[in-house]
Amino acid sequence: MLEAVGIATVTLNMIWVYHRLIGMPRVAAIEHPFGRPYGDVDDVDTQREVLRAALALAETAAEAGTVEHLPFVWHEDPKQTSWHPAEPSPIIALMKKRRG
Amino acid sequence: MPGDAARTVDPWRFAGGFIAKALGGAIPDEAAYETIPWTPLAKPLSECKVALLSTAGLSMRGDEPFDMEYERQNPTRGDSSWRRLRSDATSASIEANHLHIDTSYIERDLNVALPLDRLRELETAGGIGSVAESHYSIMGFQGNDSSGLVEQSAPAIAEAMKSEEVDLALLAPV
Repeated sequence: MLEAVGIATVTLNMIWVYHRLIGMPRVAAIEHPFGRPYGDVDDVDTQREVLRAALALAETAAEAGTVEHLPFVWHEDPKQTSWHPAEPSPIIALMKKRRG
Repeated sequence: MPGDAARTVDPWRFAGGFIAKALGGAIPDEAAYETIPWTPLAKPLSECKVALLSTAGLSMRGDEPFDMEYERQNPTRGDSSWRRLRSDATSASIEANHLHIDTSYIERDLNVALPLDRLRELETAGGIGSVAESHYSIMGFQGNDSSGLVEQSAPAIAEAMKSEEVDLALLAPV
C-alpha cells in the first residue's frame, strides 16, 4: 500500500518467514523477543544499531523480496526472556480451551 | 548486541512450541504471493524523511485507545483502526494496548518498539534527512479478518505519509 503511493518500506520482523505468505519489499529479520524488536529497555546501543541496520536495507536492497538476517543476539536465553502478557490472549485462551 | 553476521534468524526462538505451531502452520514453504510492490528509494538515506510504524497498539494519551474489549468479546478479531503519533511521543505520552505481548517494556521505554529518540539522534548525526512529523500505529492482531486494516487503515496511513512527503517508512511488527 505504501510502496504503491511511492513510499519505500523496510519491515523489521521477528517472524520474517511471513514474507512467503504476503510478500514484503525489504525485510530486516531480527531474532528479538516479541514486543521489543529494536532492543531492550534502555539498551540505547542496540536500539540505535538495529535502527541503523534496518534503515540501511532501504539503500542496499536491490530487488523486491529481499530478506536480510540481522546479526543481533538477544542478551537473554529464551527461557529467561519474558514477553507474554499477564493473561493469555483471547485467541490463545480459546485455542487451548478447544484443545482441552 | 551484534553477533555472527552469517547467521539465519530463527523466527520461533522466543515463541514457544504452542505459538510456533499455531502461527507457523499458516506459513507456506514457498512464496504464496504473485507480485511484491516496489518503490526504489528516491534519494540517499541521508536525505530521506523517515516515518515509523508499529503494530503495538500505541495511541497518544488523550486520543481514543485501541479497543481491547472488542477482541475480548470476539477472540478471532482485532481492532483494525490506526493512530497517528507525534514525533515527540515518549512512554509518558502514549499508551500501549495489545493483548498478545507484555506491553510493560514499551511503557518503560518507547524505543523498544518505536525508537523516536534514536531516530532523532540519527537525524542529528546526518544519517537520515529528517524525522517525519507523524508516526503511526496499528494493533497487529487481526485474527481471521484483515479487511478493515487492508481496505481502510492502510490506505489512510499511506495518504497521511504521502501528505507529509515521507520517503521511507520503517515498519515493525511486535
